[in-house]
Amino acid sequence: MPRNLLGIRHLSADDIQELLSTSADFKLRIIEDKPVPDLSKQVVGMLFFENSTRTRVSFEQAAHYLKMKTANFAAGSSSMSKGETLKDTILTLRYERLNGLVMRHRMSGSTSLAARYFGGPVLNAGDGQHEHPTQALGDALTILERKGSLNGLSVSIVGDVEHSRVARSNAWLLSKLGAEVRFVGPRTLMPSNMQHLPGLVHYDLRSGIEGADVIICLRLQKERMSEGVLSSIGEYASMYQVNRESLRWANRDCLVMHPGPINRGVEVDDVAADGDRSVITAQIENGIFVRMASLYWVFTSDPKPAPPPTLTKSAAKPKESKAKKTAVGAKKK
Amino acid sequence: MRTLLKNGRIIDPSQDLDIVGHLIIEDSQVAEYGPDVNVDDVDETYDCTGMWITPGLVDPHVHLREPGQQHKETIVSGTQAAAAGGFTTICCMPNTSPPLDNPALVDYILDKSASPEAGGVFVAPVGALTVDMAGAQLTDLYALKRAGIVAASDEGFPIQNSSMMQQAMEFCVQLDLPVMTHCEDTSLTKGASMNEGAVSAMLGLKGMPRSAEEIAVMRNCLLSLHTNCQLHIMRVSTWGAVEMIRQAKYLGAPVTCEICPMHFTFTEESVGEFDTLYKITPPLRTQLDIDIVLQALNDGTIDCISSDHSPHASHEVEVPFEDAPFGHAGLESTVGVTLTMLTHKGILSPLETIRKLSTKPAQILRLEAGTLKPGETPVAQVTVIDPECQWTFDRHKTFSKSKNSPFHGMTLRGKTMLTFCGGEIYRDAFYADERYSINE
Repeated sequence: MPRNLLGIRHLSADDIQELLSTSADFKLRIIEDKPVPDLSKQVVGMLFFENSTRTRVSFEQAAHYLKMKTANFAAGSSSMSKGETLKDTILTLRYERLNGLVMRHRMSGSTSLAARYFGGPVLNAGDGQHEHPTQALGDALTILERKGSLNGLSVSIVGDVEHSRVARSNAWLLSKLGAEVRFVGPRTLMPSNMQHLPGLVHYDLRSGIEGADVIICLRLQKERMSEGVLSSIGEYASMYQVNRESLRWANRDCLVMHPGPINRGVEVDDVAADGDRSVITAQIENGIFVRMASLYWVFTSDPKPAPPPTLTKSAAKPKESKAKKTAVGAKKK
Repeated sequence: MRTLLKNGRIIDPSQDLDIVGHLIIEDSQVAEYGPDVNVDDVDETYDCTGMWITPGLVDPHVHLREPGQQHKETIVSGTQAAAAGGFTTICCMPNTSPPLDNPALVDYILDKSASPEAGGVFVAPVGALTVDMAGAQLTDLYALKRAGIVAASDEGFPIQNSSMMQQAMEFCVQLDLPVMTHCEDTSLTKGASMNEGAVSAMLGLKGMPRSAEEIAVMRNCLLSLHTNCQLHIMRVSTWGAVEMIRQAKYLGAPVTCEICPMHFTFTEESVGEFDTLYKITPPLRTQLDIDIVLQALNDGTIDCISSDHSPHASHEVEVPFEDAPFGHAGLESTVGVTLTMLTHKGILSPLETIRKLSTKPAQILRLEAGTLKPGETPVAQVTVIDPECQWTFDRHKTFSKSKNSPFHGMTLRGKTMLTFCGGEIYRDAFYADERYSINE
């Protein structure tokens, strides 16, 4: 089984530490113009079924630094638009002899499906509202550089938690490394049952960010208004905006983070986004180094890697055997 | 031709009968049964020692997929699966393509199911309540009833408009036709694919709130109470729905309900890593719901058990979770799962188990089935179940065309050994050859 990066939830604290220290090491090497590992034999497919600028460019950059080749896949002009199933697309790419996949898809769990049928490693670049592991790694590196450790830090994730894969991945990562996570947002944008997610829920911004060391603002998508979950952008901003006034409730040296793209004037104001507590640009830059580390981590895994995310016991076996069967059949052709 | 089912435990809930004895099938009819029947002069003997001899099982909720979706299942493969599961009468759902909304399609299904290639079981079609199951215009229910439908339902596309539902019920009262309904307020479940709860929040999937089911259950129960229309609620999954049905029955509404084995076996946690085999509607809920459901099975609030056999082809299931269709192939696992999860755990006695799998659904839908009484069914419908047979369910060894079963790999205790509908229509591989003899 190849090593995948499908989500932070599946990783151990040791794995995360390893990824973060590799990231820091790569960053230093790039800045000092020192050599980094050469993965030039690897060709990685970039499957972005959903629009993305920053994550895609960031992965391209990371692959470039590692001298990897990338094969781009534009979902719009691919055979997916001709009705091919995701499974068949993945199998096709497998037998195009791609060594790995970076994949983004609008459906939660689609990267787990891809990993089941793709022989090599799969990296999740965002699957629906499930996880976005490399974003969380970049955010963690950014915090670590400034705070030294995540242990005991108080981190508030503010905004549309329900629809945010960034919120989920960040919560898993931060809590696994000892931070205390608070989820803050209106009831209509918060899952009704947060029992399985690591963090406390606050519906009030003040109690949610009081004494926070880090605030991660989430993007509010405009279409939420038409779904009737919010009355107006103005009201949301007045209740949940991270700005000059509300930042006073947090710690004096609190970091302001945002995964982008930013809706200025909605979830953050200019003072928070551009002020000296903002580390938004550092997040973007660190994204490259954690993606380098992620690519390196999955492509150089030892022969007995960590077990993959658990499938439900009854379903696990036949699915594997099925994939194998297809593989044999395809080779014969 | 005299066939002897020898020395079994004869369980017939239609007469509260639970005795050890023999049963004789003569000229395709149950002739007699009991401890003292004449066991000489028989042509063939099936040794049923240690097994249950029960009325043929009745499944109120099966998708045969024909016409139009033969890649999932056909009437032939579906009826064969039913026979292997111990069912001798099954009700097929109208959400075919096109939907079962005109009498010609009813004829087609009845013809196909009576063909010699088919499994030999009775198929009782359920017709669509509204044209195209679109919820806008009633079908020609009178003609459909004359063609042979036993109930009307819009299945997976339940009527949302309460006025429309009331009209449909009024009309069905006049025609003396039961209405079956899946209960879901679809305005609350748009884009949702599993239970709204801790697991959906973790996986980032949109959840179906329990209120979506309960609102529809409550509305339909009230409409049934006030129109006096016989209502059968398909698949209950929440404790709230169970309590509302309990209340409706108390108020005197002619309401019954069913449950499928998935809802008393699995919880939302079973979805695990986006496993599409556990995608069902209403969705798998929580342990609390299972606890209440088990009580309701025990006290009779839940009237019967259906397989909710919903076959889907592999390529339809091997997709991202939100894209996957709802349901699982269940005909051949229902007996095993029900005995394992309910009977052997003391939730249901053997008599009550068979009542829920045979007599009660037959009574609800007024089918000539669910009893061993001579002459009350068109031909002998008898199922022999070995309650102690330990076996592992293998979805690749089923008659159904589809293999989407979450029970795959589960060790079950209890298995259908023989199915008679007229003559023998199914004999299980576990049924030892020595147990069968032909008397010269």
